[in-house]
Amino acid sequence: MLARPLLLLLPLPLALSGPAHARERLQVFVNAPYLELHTGPGRGYPVFNVVERGGSVDVLKRFTDWYKVRTERGIEGWVAQRDMLQTVLADGTPFTFNLGDRAGFTSHRFEAGVFLYGDYGGASELGGYGSFSLTSSLAVELSVGEFLGKASNGTLGDIGLEHVFLPEKRFSPFVTLGTGIVYTQPKATLVQPSDRTDQSAYAGAGFRFYLTRRFFVRGEYRNHIVFTKSNQNEQVDEWKFGFAFFL
Amino acid sequence: MEIRFRVLLVIALASLTGCASVRHLFGHHGASGGDTVADARGGADEGAIPDREDGGPGSGGERGAGSGEAPASGSSQNGDESAPDQSSPRVIEPQVERRKIKVPRIRSQNIEVGGYYGTLNIEDFGAHPVYGVQAAYHITEDIFFQAEAGRSKGGYTSFEKLSNVQLLTTGERWFKYYDLSVGYNLFPGEVFLGRNFALRSTFYLLGGLGGTEFGGDQKFTVNFGAGYKVLPADWLAVHVAVEDRVFNTDLLGVTKLASNLEAHLGVTFFFGF
Repeated sequence: MLARPLLLLLPLPLALSGPAHARERLQVFVNAPYLELHTGPGRGYPVFNVVERGGSVDVLKRFTDWYKVRTERGIEGWVAQRDMLQTVLADGTPFTFNLGDRAGFTSHRFEAGVFLYGDYGGASELGGYGSFSLTSSLAVELSVGEFLGKASNGTLGDIGLEHVFLPEKRFSPFVTLGTGIVYTQPKATLVQPSDRTDQSAYAGAGFRFYLTRRFFVRGEYRNHIVFTKSNQNEQVDEWKFGFAFFL
Repeated sequence: MEIRFRVLLVIALASLTGCASVRHLFGHHGASGGDTVADARGGADEGAIPDREDGGPGSGGERGAGSGEAPASGSSQNGDESAPDQSSPRVIEPQVERRKIKVPRIRSQNIEVGGYYGTLNIEDFGAHPVYGVQAAYHITEDIFFQAEAGRSKGGYTSFEKLSNVQLLTTGERWFKYYDLSVGYNLFPGEVFLGRNFALRSTFYLLGGLGGTEFGGDQKFTVNFGAGYKVLPADWLAVHVAVEDRVFNTDLLGVTKLASNLEAHLGVTFFFGF
């Protein structure tokens, strides 16, 4: 009785693997004296095969700066990006692959990053952010963070606008403005104050500095005003520094 | 006066016939076959290579003028028949349609996701099983970012065992952590299984920051360690890693740096977009 439903599942792997086989592979032609195939995606892996000028390879996939290719004889190996750039497509145009450049840094759609150093009102903070660019200088950004300190722990989430000055420069400053929510868990040994969730607003400034390919570093300062339930609002300084990439 | 005007008119006419545009007006239609052929070819060229029409009609006019200048300088209308072919040899553009190459997307495999299981020695609370998930993004063949989240459950301190006092509730004994680390593939290489079989491998270093929840408190945690991974396939990796998670704690009365050593075995899968 159990066997029948199981039999019905048998064609499933075949159906799932179908599109993979039908996938079109990019074919490139060797335009240098030869193309070196390494056993692995790294500079130290030995060269075990070469394809001569005029020969072709199918590009299977990419891992960082390395491409896995299959030769006409069915041999699979890894080719470095710099060697791949010396191949041509079937129409004779050079093979190019955009791994990110300054132009992309200036104008891109998405960016995301993690803050490996953070300070939120004296507490250590870890966080990340993502942003969607409306223009090359204006973006909507969403950031989250968790701060762990001696006096209190908590999490915060912000949404705001970011305006980048000189987006075409390697070093581009920006200003931000937005609002968010902060959840605070005070640590107290004598009196136990309750946890609280407050709305906040922030204004800040920072910089981004292009490193290479799709990567840049980002540092920023934000001045938060937390609208507490007590009579007085709180002001919190936040400093963040981390790595980010764009797409 | 009349003679002067006539002389002027004759000079003007003579000079104007040398001018290409005027020659175009006067003698063009009545000209011999050479010009017609040249013009026809010019027309054909324009038809064959549409991008050459950038100059618009003006470019066609210049071409016509070019073919007409030679006979004018030779001051003979008869020269038109052979002159254009000799003076301005035309490059025949091949009428080949370029193959349109559709470049398929090259799938990347820079993301590594998986889980692990091992032992975590929670300082003062004994060594206990730990399990978690991990995800990494490989930037270059050397550097990657890694995030981990795991949990374990602490036991009882020796003080608790001897005095029959409980310092923490059962819920507070859960040791939950996460971290964001930077990794460096220090010794990439291959593992040889017999004569014909080699697997990729690497020894890597890890260091990062994170948070740990234990004993009813959350601690800012620094983690560092090293691991070794072997890749049975391009999409699969088996890890063995040892990490230390260090944070300040005052759980047992005095503030001290708690060091929590963890060793785990993990399996990860590579994928990308």
